[in-house]
Amino acid sequence: MVAGQSSAWAHAFLDHADPKVGSTVTESPPTVKLWFTQELEPAFSTLVVQDAQGKQVDKKDAHLDDKNKQLFIVSLPALPAGDYTVNWHAVSEDTHKTQGTFKFTIKPKS
Amino acid sequence: MKAGKCWNWAVWNSRRGPWAAAATIVAALSLGTARVEAHGFEAGRFFPPTIQTDDPFATDELSFPTILYVQNPGTPATKTTDASFEFDKEIFPKFAVGISDGVQYQAPQGNSSATGFDNLELSAKYQLWEVPAHEWIFSVGAIWDVGGTGSKKIGADSANTFTPTVYFGKGMGDLPDSLAALKPVAVTGTFGVDVPTEGEQNALEWGLAVEYSLPYLQTQVRDIGLPEPFKNMIPLVEFAFTTPVNRGNGPTTGTINPGVLYEAEYFQLGAEAVIPANSPTGSKVGVVVNVQIFLDDIFPRTFGHPLFGGKDE
Repeated sequence: MVAGQSSAWAHAFLDHADPKVGSTVTESPPTVKLWFTQELEPAFSTLVVQDAQGKQVDKKDAHLDDKNKQLFIVSLPALPAGDYTVNWHAVSEDTHKTQGTFKFTIKPKS
Repeated sequence: MKAGKCWNWAVWNSRRGPWAAAATIVAALSLGTARVEAHGFEAGRFFPPTIQTDDPFATDELSFPTILYVQNPGTPATKTTDASFEFDKEIFPKFAVGISDGVQYQAPQGNSSATGFDNLELSAKYQLWEVPAHEWIFSVGAIWDVGGTGSKKIGADSANTFTPTVYFGKGMGDLPDSLAALKPVAVTGTFGVDVPTEGEQNALEWGLAVEYSLPYLQTQVRDIGLPEPFKNMIPLVEFAFTTPVNRGNGPTTGTINPGVLYEAEYFQLGAEAVIPANSPTGSKVGVVVNVQIFLDDIFPRTFGHPLFGGKDE
């Protein structure tokens, strides 16, 4: 599970994210970016951001980075302050499946 | 001879001599040392293969090797090194069979040493009940210690022993956010009953593994910026015990095993101290190390899915 090691033969685990897992940010981020330990199969991988009521708030354009198939991205509109949940399902190129969820909070400086 | 036969080392010793006593203590200290699994998931929770107690997943695995070193308090006191392996294969979805064996070197004080193979052990396990949203799994299985297949020099049992066993696993990821720091915790456990085919003692085999997954903390709770290798480590404590239940009973024996697992891309490394829980078990601290090879990642077309019944990770 080492970031940067590219191989077609292993489970894809989340290495890190932006916004960071469990973090509090002061502004609505333009995207959620997930870096995985393996290259993903885009047709079967999903990335969804929900608000505290469970409503999907991302722009439904989850995609892999053009130059890095280990980087999964979804765009966000300008979001109000609150707690948000990121749900992802990843399928690596050898079809191994993994999934995970984490939260981040938007809390503008007062 | 694995854990299932470790009923009362003192009685065993008096009946069979020092070699049998040493083998018994190793079994008591190891409680199924070779019995570990490959990738087991419930939703986002990865339950790692544990070293001293079996986890509840029926998956493809290769545990090679597991090396245990202990000193037992028998008469004479004996230093024992045990090297073992286990291979499991998922046959149908959620049903796997396994085979394990090992070789043991015993060095009793004041006596010549002995080396020999342990009894062959065959097993089967079925994942009966899973609730991924609550990171919960419950499995049933059985272990057959094939009597007479090991070396009498090291005290391998000549009788067959069957051990029906139940397994469970529970991750704490569903705790409320107010207890977020505890979400990386997971517990797995086993409970089995030894049923020997000859007039030996029945015993309860029970064990727990309490884990704190730093990968889970980093990727599902809070990224605290742990660097390698720590962000891929899982500290844990395993508890492995045997309680005789008939024919005069005897003391409960067992070990407390603090250690750490390291998750790499294609393998897992594990090491634990083996601390006797009471004086009947022993007084010297031993050590166990294990390598778990993730066959499903190395050979994804061959492993990681059942032989029959379609792909099922």
